[in-house]
Amino acid sequence: MRGQVPYLLGLGLIGFFVAFPFVYSAGDYDYIMHILITAFFYAILAASWSMLAGYAGQFSFGHIGFMGVGAYTAALFSHYFWLSPVPTELCTEYQFGSTWLVIVNPIGVTSSTLTQDCLRQALTAWDGSVEVSRMPVWLGIILGSIMGGVFGFLIGVLVLRLRAAYLALFTLGFAEILKATISAEIEITRGQAGIELPALFEDGVTVFGHAFSKTDKLPPYFVMFGLLLLCLAILAWLAHSKFGLFVRALREDQDAAAALGVNTTRYKVLVFVITTMMAAAAGAVQGHYIGIITPNNLFLLQMSLVVAMAVIGGVENFVAAAIGAIMIQVVLEMLRNSFVIGGYEIDMTIWRLVFFGIILMLTLRFARNGLIAPMIDHFTRGHVAHETVAKRVATEAEGTE
Amino acid sequence: MINLVVRDLHKRFGGNHVLKGVTFEVNGPELIGLIGPNGAGKTTLTNVLDGAIKPNSGTVYLNGQRIDQLQPYEVALAGLGRTFQVTRSFRRMSVLENLYVPALAMGRHESKAEIHGKAMDVLEFLTMDHLRNEFAQALSGGQQKLLELGRLLMLNPDVVILDEPFAGVHPRLMEIIYAYIRRVNDEGKAIIIISHQMDSIFSLSQRLLVLNFGDLIADGPPEEVKRDPAVIEAYLGAEEDEETAQPEEA
Repeated sequence: MRGQVPYLLGLGLIGFFVAFPFVYSAGDYDYIMHILITAFFYAILAASWSMLAGYAGQFSFGHIGFMGVGAYTAALFSHYFWLSPVPTELCTEYQFGSTWLVIVNPIGVTSSTLTQDCLRQALTAWDGSVEVSRMPVWLGIILGSIMGGVFGFLIGVLVLRLRAAYLALFTLGFAEILKATISAEIEITRGQAGIELPALFEDGVTVFGHAFSKTDKLPPYFVMFGLLLLCLAILAWLAHSKFGLFVRALREDQDAAAALGVNTTRYKVLVFVITTMMAAAAGAVQGHYIGIITPNNLFLLQMSLVVAMAVIGGVENFVAAAIGAIMIQVVLEMLRNSFVIGGYEIDMTIWRLVFFGIILMLTLRFARNGLIAPMIDHFTRGHVAHETVAKRVATEAEGTE
Repeated sequence: MINLVVRDLHKRFGGNHVLKGVTFEVNGPELIGLIGPNGAGKTTLTNVLDGAIKPNSGTVYLNGQRIDQLQPYEVALAGLGRTFQVTRSFRRMSVLENLYVPALAMGRHESKAEIHGKAMDVLEFLTMDHLRNEFAQALSGGQQKLLELGRLLMLNPDVVILDEPFAGVHPRLMEIIYAYIRRVNDEGKAIIIISHQMDSIFSLSQRLLVLNFGDLIADGPPEEVKRDPAVIEAYLGAEEDEETAQPEEA
């Protein structure tokens, strides 16, 4: 029964987040919903990074880069690929039945009044007589996830022989190169200006007879929360399977695991592919939710935030890492309000980061397994020591009889 | 029948020629002791046999399959298992989980219940069943050595290489390790024991291999090897000088 407590609490937490948007009705509803959507986004990153670093021992600092791969793939896909009932005769285009797949030419950051891409020129010429449509958002998210997995595979293969600091530096290098490339390729990515993405539900959505506009927070809230639950479910399944056992053995001692028959290469690459796909999926959904992705989203500081969230929750438990991420994101936002003490105004926009840093340092010093993971361990492993002693005493008693 | 054929193995690390044409065969459930002074190449030979290090030349065949170019996990699946000189348990995994790893890696068609049952048998044999849910890091050094041996029982290879199984082990645990070796040997497995504990090696082994700076200088029954002048000069008679010998296995 004691071991079931974390599961029951987990179910309670899921119930809370499902009910929250329907129960909460204060004036800052949209703001709070935005915080939670962003918190779920970070929770996916922290949980998947926990599987990669905490379970498999692969301390990658490229996770935010893989998130960017997903977001940029979705952004470029929605920006450059369109469907048209008639050919533009200006763009690169392919006919599929009665529909034309139009690939817009990259023109970088320009004023639309001076230079227009081929599709805009065609639309101007058509003068409203032809309607073109975007590619489905969900397809962009899937493509983004797959592209994240492809990059994860390539990086996973490249870092096979790297461990510890070398692995961290290599993956950090990957994320920085990706960011620099995106910044430099202004023609395609629009560089620092960023690239816009359509909303998750650009034309709104109707659920159970209730119509939501594209700016309503409820649909993206449940999309991101659903993605988080899906990722957690996959991670839970993996953690309790042969995969979870082998990647933990990999973390503990790669050579010993190989000597016992574990194909360490396969599992090291697999864990990269799976976790990077999750990061990429989160990035793609977040990109569509926010509506823009820029190279600044790939900053090292963002990666540090994900690592800190996972560490504070408990890096060796992906659920703890996810809870840690939600907790930190919410607390950091709640601490934005400045206040006055003895005539001095405490500017919390800056001091909240100091507060965050102190929590991180205290956690690393006094709770190496994070703040949430030990609570879960208390229920799942708290009985082990008593059990061991009881069994030893029973065995000794049998021996003396 | 088990057949390990090692032919003309050479291994160099830079200018250091660590294995100089090592050749021997293991046929059937032999219990072999591998001895030699520090730096003789014992651990290097083990690493070459298990695939962790590739030889510069020479071949290793196990039951007719060439294994010297395989990855360590492929060598394990082919039927060669080993322990390490310094114990390498999966410290933040439970004792049972340590035992599940090789059983699952082998990919045998066994149910979870069967694997668990087998693991419990192994733990009972090693007198560690009360520790089944503890993390390996909670075990003593001797218990961790037993756990490593338990993992090999779960892997169930044809050839078992035990690297210093008696080093730093309490006499009571030593008895368990002796029983382990006899059990594995009785099951028809070949065992190669690397040890500096001459009493244990001479009492257990049916055959001794002696390595001296990469050369296999003796291969025969313990009584014969004991009297071999080359072995006495290189190793048995040189025990007093061991402290001045090379500190680490090459």
